[in-house]
Amino acid sequence: MEDFLYFFTFQDPSIVFVVIGIILLGVGSAYVGTYSFLDKKALLGDAISHAILPGICLGFMLAGEKNPLFIVSGAFISGALATFLSSWLNKNTRLSEDAIIASILSIFFGFGIVLLTIIQKSGNPEMAGLNQFIFGNAIAIQESDLYIYGGLAVFIILCLTIFQKEFSLLVFNPDYGRAIGFPMGMIRVIFNILMILSVVIGIQAIGVVLMAALLITPGAAARFWTDRLGVLVILAGVFSAVSGVLGTYISFVIPQMPTGPWVVVFLSILALISFLFAPKKGVLSRYISRRIYLKKTHRDHLLKLLYKGIEADKSGLPIEEIYEAFPFQKKQSEQSIKNLAKDNFITQNQSFIELSISGKSEAKRIVRLHRLWELYLNEYMNIAPDHVHDTAEKLEHILTPEMEELLESRLNFPKLDPHQENIPRDHDEL
Amino acid sequence: MITQVKSPILEIHDLTVSYDQSPVLWNVDLSLPSGKLIGILGPNGAGKSTLIKAIMGLVDPSGGYVKLFDKTLEEVRSRISYVPQRESVDWNFPASVLDVVMMGTYGKLGLFKRPGKKEKELSMESLEKVGMHGFANRQISELSGGQQQRVFIARSLAQNADLYLMDEPFAGVDMATETAIFELLQEMTAAGKTVIVVHHDIYSAVNYFDWFIMLNLHLVASGPKETVMTEDLLRKTYGGKLNLLTKVSDLIRQKEFNPLKN
Repeated sequence: MEDFLYFFTFQDPSIVFVVIGIILLGVGSAYVGTYSFLDKKALLGDAISHAILPGICLGFMLAGEKNPLFIVSGAFISGALATFLSSWLNKNTRLSEDAIIASILSIFFGFGIVLLTIIQKSGNPEMAGLNQFIFGNAIAIQESDLYIYGGLAVFIILCLTIFQKEFSLLVFNPDYGRAIGFPMGMIRVIFNILMILSVVIGIQAIGVVLMAALLITPGAAARFWTDRLGVLVILAGVFSAVSGVLGTYISFVIPQMPTGPWVVVFLSILALISFLFAPKKGVLSRYISRRIYLKKTHRDHLLKLLYKGIEADKSGLPIEEIYEAFPFQKKQSEQSIKNLAKDNFITQNQSFIELSISGKSEAKRIVRLHRLWELYLNEYMNIAPDHVHDTAEKLEHILTPEMEELLESRLNFPKLDPHQENIPRDHDEL
Repeated sequence: MITQVKSPILEIHDLTVSYDQSPVLWNVDLSLPSGKLIGILGPNGAGKSTLIKAIMGLVDPSGGYVKLFDKTLEEVRSRISYVPQRESVDWNFPASVLDVVMMGTYGKLGLFKRPGKKEKELSMESLEKVGMHGFANRQISELSGGQQQRVFIARSLAQNADLYLMDEPFAGVDMATETAIFELLQEMTAAGKTVIVVHHDIYSAVNYFDWFIMLNLHLVASGPKETVMTEDLLRKTYGGKLNLLTKVSDLIRQKEFNPLKN
């Protein structure tokens, strides 16, 4: 608790630096990553993040110390080389894109590990911090690092904001962009540079292995909540910043604990919450709307049953007969009867169920839709009368009043369905 | 049966295009008059879309050239509008109908600048012409196929061009919409614009187009409706690919390089 208060009241200026850094870097990489996620190029981010390791090591070897300028430049150059190589191979060989990305990732990363081992054997006293670049350590960010990493993050965010319409075009319809004369090749290059930069600035805090998660997961999680690009980008940034700060907090409380994996843990939790609970697209919400729909279909079928009773000159049905009509569904039937009674569609006299006036009208509507659709299938699609029932049984619940109007006018207000049963209208006497 | 015209709006000279070395268009040579509604007909894989893409500079020809308004494409790009195939984009992209139509104004707007009030008004007008103004704020993922086509057409109208190239704008469109769009295109040509449309349905094509280009890997015909709508030319267009041409294509594909490239 003490740690928690100390960290989140930001008394320590070095914590303030770290938190600002991680927020900027989180927002920047989530912003780029959302576009590359929408562009279905998520794997490229993973390849780039692994591919910058040899650059980091070479930068360290050249500088002889953990000089951020050398390391960032080295990382950028090897990231750029990997990106260039993958697009060159894609254009000039018949290798598939996934094969190219997988080979680039492993070749560069393998070479990086070799270099890392050489540095460790060299006994350079400065090398202690180099391992952090694998899994990241946000707490080790210093003021001088912040200017470089934070500055680059701000640059990325600004660029994406200025080029918003160009990058949307690049993702949505690059051919059209070329047709109106935009330099789409150049815009792709700029986007790739921003992507490499966003990976490079994350190496200190998150590490090369997990940087791809920070690029892609925020956008993927945010996509569950919204269909608007502006909201999507902001939400992704928030997810990323929150996970970044929480991951940093863990590194602060437990020294030597790498930040990257914890950021990914928090991001995954946010992604899981989005997947389960987001309105409309979430698993839970889809389950609930399906349940509501199934309940409605059961109610509709019950109304139809009572209507068919009237057609057979029974003013109503005993409750037992209704239960028998829906075998193994007694609970649902009880529930539907309760709901229908509450909505004044049916009246219950002891165990005898009858349709009310509004119930009759609703029942007629459902039967009408069912029989109109059957007739449409039969007349317009040449489907035999004994094959039309099943789809009509499903469509009667979802056909809208507009569709009903269309069907009526197309079929010229028919009296009988293909089974020679009456198609009931609202003003018909029952 | 190829009718050449004087002072053409579009001139294609000996154009050959290949994908991965297999030629998909052989020596297309034609010229088109302005102010006409022109249909490109041909079976699947005849190279109809490729011809349009080559005109727009989206695929590199292995031979020949295209001239528009007697100039190169770069010089007159702002006067040309392109409607890509509906299936060529991911409609799940998070954007509204208005966002997409507004892309039509980007060409005149140029880089960096963001669309403002004027561009918005122009886009709304274009949406109104295709009867979609009520959908401006709808997400594109919620549209039906026909509505998506109309959004793409509205986007190209927002470009305010003189020459329109449309790739299968009637694919997945119901009859009522098809008629409405054809009427709109006829209004445009009456106002002096030229519209070139890749189309798959010969029956409706006969009713609407003034001029036809018939393709089947090579140019079968190009000319006014009266002269090219003959049984003989239609059979040449739709009656299977030339045997020898496919054999040569196979031969070229097996080479280590593309012998047709300049």
